[in-house]
Amino acid sequence: MKEFTANNILQGLKDRDTKVLDYIYNNFFYQIKVFIAKNHGTVEDAQDIYQDAILVIYLKTRENNLSLTCSFSTYLYSVCRRLWLKQLEQKRQRKTIAEDTGIFIDLDESVIELFEVNDRYKLYQEHFKKLSFSCQKVLELFLAGIPLKDIAKVLGFKSEQYAKKRKYQCKEKLVNSIKTDPEFKYFDNGIHKGNNNGK
Amino acid sequence: MENRIKIEEFIDGILTDKERQEFKARKDTDPGINKDIVFRTEINKAIRDINYMEMHNLLIDQMKSKELISRKIKFQPNIHRIWQIAAAWFLLILVSGGLWFVLSNKSFSKEELVSQYYNPVHPVLLVRSVEANTNAPIIEDFHFYQQNDWTNALNYFNSLENKISSHFYSGICYIELKQYDKAIESFEYVINDNDNLYVEQAKWYTGLIYLMNNQKNQAIDQFEKISDSTSFYSNQAKEILKHID
Repeated sequence: MKEFTANNILQGLKDRDTKVLDYIYNNFFYQIKVFIAKNHGTVEDAQDIYQDAILVIYLKTRENNLSLTCSFSTYLYSVCRRLWLKQLEQKRQRKTIAEDTGIFIDLDESVIELFEVNDRYKLYQEHFKKLSFSCQKVLELFLAGIPLKDIAKVLGFKSEQYAKKRKYQCKEKLVNSIKTDPEFKYFDNGIHKGNNNGK
Repeated sequence: MENRIKIEEFIDGILTDKERQEFKARKDTDPGINKDIVFRTEINKAIRDINYMEMHNLLIDQMKSKELISRKIKFQPNIHRIWQIAAAWFLLILVSGGLWFVLSNKSFSKEELVSQYYNPVHPVLLVRSVEANTNAPIIEDFHFYQQNDWTNALNYFNSLENKISSHFYSGICYIELKQYDKAIESFEYVINDNDNLYVEQAKWYTGLIYLMNNQKNQAIDQFEKISDSTSFYSNQAKEILKHID
């Protein structure tokens, strides 16, 4: 198997390169699994934490906000460790890690902030996928910057005005669906940290 | 309700200057409005973030495919039990060695492989294809496809003349209707064109059809070709080959 340097891995994550994703999984997932198992978690917990950590690192690489001062393995372990600790705290189980199985570095709060963004994105996208096909398309096209008159034409609506109304209805459906999700209550306070620029 | 409409119009940037100024004045004195704006704006960002969605899906797919492989490894604890029961080390080595040989070469049934690797293309991904492919189908008529109404979806796709994408989606419909020969014909059309976005997917689905249709040798040939190529499905083809006996 091809070897990747830490920089190759970061670039590969940024590009969503499946070969790099496979390399990371094959080389580092086991370490995370052992760590979670030693700290009262299951294999499913390990899979969730691993996925969240990779998504957080992906978001960080996209912001061009990541240059490593340690190996990728240490960084990944540190992110997983931090996320697992947060989860243990939320479950009110423990406030400390019982047993470390790797070397870790201290991480700044941006990791937790990105983790929270990541959680919210997953929730929003999950509810978006539950909308009707027509609603998904109206919102996708509108947010892709397609003019309402073209959306009306493509989706067979009678007028631009109706497309606008439909877009509003679909957005409200999505907003209400998210707000009634029990998971949302937990996010509610964290949303303020974001900014409100642009649509 | 009027408030919510105004908030959306503010986010969408379609208020007039006067309306915008009036709304800003209200917004500055009402924390609830501000909170709603941040929330709704973030939803928009999440929906627009196709790359994030794709990355998330890649990780889910990766975990699924790795789970299949780890199921083989999970046989080992059972072997350990046998070891404990065995009275002599010599016997243990013989037994475990023999079992290891049998289990490490275990293959998965056709049904297990198909259920693990086959999924019809999700319509959510279609907007991207529409943007990138001039042969794209008319997106409003994916309604039947979205509803898993394969017969009506097929009728629609077949009514579109010579569009590469309509052949591709017809292929998926034929798979769902278990008309495998016709599905292969549809995908062959796409593959032979060789100048479109669907070629890699069509080759991958062709391999899966062979598997569904008990054409093991053809399936192996197809997955070997994919695994030797630079296809997006190369790694999955390598994995599936390990499990076909």
